[in-house]
Amino acid sequence: MAKDVDLNILQTVRRPIETANGLPNAHYTDPDMYKREAQSVLMSAWAGLAVTDDVPQIGDAKPVEFLGIPLLLVRDRTDQVRVFQNVCRHRGMILVSEAKKIEGAIRCPYHSWCYGTDGKLVSTPHVGGPGHNSHDAIDKSLFGLIEVRSHIWLNTVFINVDGTADPFEKVHADLIARWSEFDQTMYHGGVGSRFTLKVKTNWKLAVENYCESYHLPWVHPGLNAYSRLEDHYNIIEPGKFSGQGTYVYRQLTGDDGTVFPDFGGLDQKWDTGAEYLTVYPNVLLGVQRDHAFVIVLEPVSHDVTHEHVHIYYAAPDTDAALRDRNSAQWKEIFEEDIFVVEGMQKGRFAPGFDGGRFSPTMDGPTHCFHEWVASRLSAYDAG
Amino acid sequence: MTLDEALLDAHARDDRAQLVALYTKAADQAATTDATCFFLTQAYVFALETGDPATPVLFNRLKDYGRV
Repeated sequence: MAKDVDLNILQTVRRPIETANGLPNAHYTDPDMYKREAQSVLMSAWAGLAVTDDVPQIGDAKPVEFLGIPLLLVRDRTDQVRVFQNVCRHRGMILVSEAKKIEGAIRCPYHSWCYGTDGKLVSTPHVGGPGHNSHDAIDKSLFGLIEVRSHIWLNTVFINVDGTADPFEKVHADLIARWSEFDQTMYHGGVGSRFTLKVKTNWKLAVENYCESYHLPWVHPGLNAYSRLEDHYNIIEPGKFSGQGTYVYRQLTGDDGTVFPDFGGLDQKWDTGAEYLTVYPNVLLGVQRDHAFVIVLEPVSHDVTHEHVHIYYAAPDTDAALRDRNSAQWKEIFEEDIFVVEGMQKGRFAPGFDGGRFSPTMDGPTHCFHEWVASRLSAYDAG
Repeated sequence: MTLDEALLDAHARDDRAQLVALYTKAADQAATTDATCFFLTQAYVFALETGDPATPVLFNRLKDYGRV
């Protein structure tokens, strides 16, 4: 019965925008719904986990959690970034508890089973008794680390936890084509170009707010001077991605006229254009002629989200002071959004709120996201 | 400082290079094949973990005993 009711509610979300409601309160306030969405929306899709610059050098390993799953981000000996479950195949001990450089092998701190950075089990000390390092029952080739399916795009590490998604290149073919000009070497701006905002909100509200430009004149009045509401356009690709673009991107300029170098080979439209898209479910991306940013939303619980922000440039040696100004500028804008996403989270406890209605003109990107979430939930329940 | 004391001290300091050296020394002084292989294994694992240049030597010694 409950499932029937849920399906009816989800059908109202999936109506045309003129008559659709947003996702009901439970999708933001109910820990059980959060777990259900974790399975049907986050683990079954290509979710953002990290950026490759979290493990910049060969041998770097960083433990990360995703939806409570202990994972290990590793840059292996062939310079490939990989994701493993961060547990020993022996007794399930956590292998790596803090970011470190793997000089040789990953050694379990419990019984010292050792793994290569490629995940292969390479040593099982004393497994056949003291000084006997093999046993017929333990075939090393069968007990390598459990690798999580991953894909790198625009320096972002995407994972498909349950292994059921179509290949990333297929799922996001339109998006990859749309931004093909930006699929080039980008350089992380360094320590000052990464920051994390810890927000008391459901991860979806961070997506919803990012997708649309409707709120800009009210929440980011500082943008009005040069980037007015009418300078923006909606990007809506049902079932795929959504966001917004602007026609009036203006480069940050230092006191001495310094600007960041441009990415190579961009079309003229990017001289003053910029786009901001959500790669469903949880990666927010922005591209401009001279820098890009990645925001990986880490869902911590039904009402807590950590936003990991990384800013990238076209060259490795950009002006440090200008980078700091750029970081400060973006941080100010992203912090201006916090009261909104936290306010909407609190608002979801109002029992009379029915998910709300959308402006057919302005809220298309948000509705597109809701429709995608509802379709994933429906497919999961049906399947 | 005895070898036992030196090993305990190296463990306490988490000095893995020293652990490789001391366990190798213990292996060289051991009276039985099993004891030798026990200490070689200890040395090998710390060498493997740290990328110590002694790793292939220790591996081959264990291999010669049929213990890898």
